[in-house]
Amino acid sequence: MSGDVKKVPVYCYQCVAGPDLLTVKVRDGIATEVEPNFKAAEVHPGGGKCCVKAYGLVQKTYNPNRLLSPMKRTNPNKGKDQDPGFVPISWDEAFDLVAGKLNELRAKGLTDEYGYPRVAASFGGGGTPTYYMGTFPAFLSAWGPIDFSFGSGQGVKCYHSEHLYGELWHRAFTVASDTPNTKYVLSFGANLEASAGVVGVWRHAQARINGYKRVQLEPHLSVTGACSAEWVPIKPKTDPALMFAMLHVMLHETPRDKLDLPFLRNHTGSPYLVGPNGYFLRDAETRKPLLWDLKRNRAVPFDMPDTDPALEGSFTCSGIEVGADERVWQHDAVSVETSFTKLAAHVKPYTPEWAETICDIRPGTVRRLTKEYLEHAQVGATTVVDGVTLPLRPVAIVIGKTVSNGWGGYECCWARTLISCLVGALEVPGGILGTTVRLNRPAVPRQASVAKGPDGFMAYPMNPTDKQNWVSRPNVRNAHRTLVPLSANSPWSTALGPTHLSWIFRKQVPEHWPEVSAPDLWFVYRTNPAISLWDTPEVAKRIAEFPFIVCFTYTRDETNHMADVLLPEATDLESTQLLSIGGTKFMEQFWDYEGYALRQPAVKPRGDTREFTDIATELAKRTGLLEKYNQSINKGSACTRLAGENYDFSLAPDKAYKAEEIWDAVCKAASAELTDGKETQGLDWFKENGYRVKPFPRLNWYLYPEIVKQGIRFEMPYQEQLLRVGAQLGNRLHESGITWWDTQLKEYQALPAWKDFPGVWEQDTVRLGGKPEEFPFWLLTARSMQYSWGSNVGIPLMDEVSKNVKGHHGVVMNAGKARELGIKEGDLIEVRSALRATKGRAVLTQGIRPDTLLMLGQFDHWATPYAKDMATPSMNTVTPMSLELTDATGSSADIVKVGVSRIAA
Amino acid sequence: MARYVMVVDLRSCVGCQTCTAACRHANATPPGVQWRQVLDIESGEYPDVRRTFMPVGCMHCGNPPCMHVCPSTATYQRDDGLVGINYDLCIGCGYCAVACPYQARHIVHRASFAYGDQPTESEAARFDEKRVSVATKCTFCIDRIDEAKEKGLTPGVHPEVTPACVNSCIAQALHFGDKQDPESNVSQLIKENESFRMHEELGTDPGMYYLWDGHK
Repeated sequence: MSGDVKKVPVYCYQCVAGPDLLTVKVRDGIATEVEPNFKAAEVHPGGGKCCVKAYGLVQKTYNPNRLLSPMKRTNPNKGKDQDPGFVPISWDEAFDLVAGKLNELRAKGLTDEYGYPRVAASFGGGGTPTYYMGTFPAFLSAWGPIDFSFGSGQGVKCYHSEHLYGELWHRAFTVASDTPNTKYVLSFGANLEASAGVVGVWRHAQARINGYKRVQLEPHLSVTGACSAEWVPIKPKTDPALMFAMLHVMLHETPRDKLDLPFLRNHTGSPYLVGPNGYFLRDAETRKPLLWDLKRNRAVPFDMPDTDPALEGSFTCSGIEVGADERVWQHDAVSVETSFTKLAAHVKPYTPEWAETICDIRPGTVRRLTKEYLEHAQVGATTVVDGVTLPLRPVAIVIGKTVSNGWGGYECCWARTLISCLVGALEVPGGILGTTVRLNRPAVPRQASVAKGPDGFMAYPMNPTDKQNWVSRPNVRNAHRTLVPLSANSPWSTALGPTHLSWIFRKQVPEHWPEVSAPDLWFVYRTNPAISLWDTPEVAKRIAEFPFIVCFTYTRDETNHMADVLLPEATDLESTQLLSIGGTKFMEQFWDYEGYALRQPAVKPRGDTREFTDIATELAKRTGLLEKYNQSINKGSACTRLAGENYDFSLAPDKAYKAEEIWDAVCKAASAELTDGKETQGLDWFKENGYRVKPFPRLNWYLYPEIVKQGIRFEMPYQEQLLRVGAQLGNRLHESGITWWDTQLKEYQALPAWKDFPGVWEQDTVRLGGKPEEFPFWLLTARSMQYSWGSNVGIPLMDEVSKNVKGHHGVVMNAGKARELGIKEGDLIEVRSALRATKGRAVLTQGIRPDTLLMLGQFDHWATPYAKDMATPSMNTVTPMSLELTDATGSSADIVKVGVSRIAA
Repeated sequence: MARYVMVVDLRSCVGCQTCTAACRHANATPPGVQWRQVLDIESGEYPDVRRTFMPVGCMHCGNPPCMHVCPSTATYQRDDGLVGINYDLCIGCGYCAVACPYQARHIVHRASFAYGDQPTESEAARFDEKRVSVATKCTFCIDRIDEAKEKGLTPGVHPEVTPACVNSCIAQALHFGDKQDPESNVSQLIKENESFRMHEELGTDPGMYYLWDGHK
């Protein structure tokens, strides 16, 4: 083929497992092919490859359904049944409309009469839209308070409890196995071959070749189950019971010397003594938790040097307990037990025989898996990383969506972390590791966020629950600071709070709760809550109530159907952005390098679409915020700070820069940062080379060295802090007359107990007026590599190749069960919850429990071109959104009880 | 003389279809025409079920039935093992598609495009009328193999001269190389692992080797 051909290096960050580095072949100005960036193989932990979603980018660019000029709504009425009457307008008019509204709001005040920000913004894809919105974050920062609490799937579609508890216990926004070093993985529904991206797939494939064993515990045989040594079809939402049974086997059927006793004694809270009221026994003067020192044969503060802490036992000693709201109990010669002894007693009833009645897994299987886990743990083994000797514990437990969120999520996260602690496999080579920090600060490197708290554990920035400091009046509509202490208050916190509560409260404000207003202006980018949340018809109605919606738009969709202004941005292969890469990132991005990669226009923007950065700059200019906007960029909101010790590429505050100028400055600063100011190559260099890195120490993959260095203990097993925080939160809410969060308050247990988690969903069916016997199936969904997080459902290539993977376009059900019901492959079936019904074609398989159905796709689109003709079912339509299904962290799970019937031809 | 073969490690493949998409890109095949595809195969009965992902396509057989039945001599076999189709000679009769035990041949009789009747700019730039109403199939990215000698590069080692599917694989499941070279990556993989070939009993001498754990 003739013509001018070039390969343009860019990145793909369509899903949370990215970024992938790739090149786009461009012939005579037209993008034709995507290929891995082969050069990046030398630094990228996944061989420089890119995932299947990246191959959709060419069709994405040339999609004839794209909106290629700004549009405005002409029909003031909003709703699914309303034709928006969009008409094309110029950019000038579009900016006038948006900036005009923003200026009007600014004049009224940044918050409304209820105290909520007037401007809200929602972005989807686990935060990945940030990597496509150029300098828009600088505009948002310049604006002031923004409400990010209208969710589009967070809490339901993510690993929510893991995010919050993971950060509490080991700075683990998400948790991964140390796959290159592990030998045994128990995966509770972690569908890594679909969700962990190139690097995850690459690492696990290599581990299989190297002989590791992975057991997949999951109600259906996912692609990950397919790639595992064994599939254990556990009943939905019973994972904590199986983990509790493993704890029972480890603590009551296993010799103690199989556990990592030094780790438990020295690096966890296991020896801490617990008083009769359930709080740590503390030194009356210093308030330090006490442990029993076998050397001195008395209770001493946890941090006394040269002690031999008793791991187990009951002791008689004196001290105080400090409960909620500074309630203090004085004890003189009281009988106390160690946390570890409390734990052992707590899990005693949770035998494998007990678990069988809940999980539908034979006791022998539970004992065998536990034995295999213990045998592979190699307690006592060490390895050397970057010259430092560390424990080697090649065993990992990973948990997936619907296991790690919603009711039972806390119990799973706790049990998984605790099982790891019992063999010393937390944050050491071969064990489980945190990937990223989102709630603590500073976030990079992960070690920087670790500081010792007063009780010897990692300090954690809980939202206050004491009387003086509790945020009684929510400052954002999902009230995360008020209701969820664990959600902390970082820039990510709002979007990680109970983001569906904003939608629920918009419909009905609960008792003793302030009015929850609609935002005066709502920005939306790369998200479609009218399709992607629970109870999507209800969400669409709430969206229709918003008075002014500005959508950055690729094609028409169900959410921007309600928009007032559509702003088409130059998309993935048409625009510029620098991105930090490397270090450690979710899902399994563990690099030996860190640095920056560029996304650049491989082709000219189509139509009248515009660089997102130029849109942001123009909005800043027209709203009088240019100075703050440029200052925000200078401070690092566009990837990295523009000034450092040896360099300064800061933008002048009063100038409106073009996108290329801004990114040139960012690239120069990035070059300087990576070379200690020695080199300052800019945008042209990055355009040619694509990325730039420096070594990242592998020791930074692990938190254990930092824990040892600071003399910190992992906050396991006893959750005294959570017990107190929950009690205080309860006191605050009850003082305000609020009792509708009482069920959630029950999650705050020091040693979490099994509760009937499947029953939560069964009872919800009854709450909605359903008879349980009419809804005998569990309906689940699962990640898809072709689609998850991608906002790419309108791309035909993804539709085509996903059809090669069973179940993408129908309702997966057990073939034997289907035969019983007279359902054949391809039959149109109705799947009905107590809320409403969806329909799709039956896809029969042996690889699913007879009581479970699976809908991989969630594509009942009605406005998105191409997708609306796919005729696939969606569980989002039939899944209720309610307080009852919301756990204490503010999450629920993709699960609902349903009935099935064949629709007559 | 070289015999180029592909080695597929079934222990690694995750069925992601990245190779399928990469092949569609590299070879500009029309919608639905997948020269490389990964099958999703289930065996057993609940709860004792296995699910296996198996990349398939033209096996570039040593004894290709498609070539033997071709009435127009459009299908040919090269000395290096690659089986090709001369589109100028192919009459689109479909005998080869019937004869191929691997269902690796595709014939489309009218142009089709991703978003309907009209090609996108990218599709228009790559549309090749010669591919309509003729048999098409995986070529092992033959143009790249031919460039190898000119460039002094080795297929299966250097990405510029390696089939797109192999280049794209995110699980290191696909490997390509010269089986006649005992030191090549594919020779080593076949030597060091248990392998099988699909429908070997038919005497086709297929050029795709599947590595697996055997009967373990």
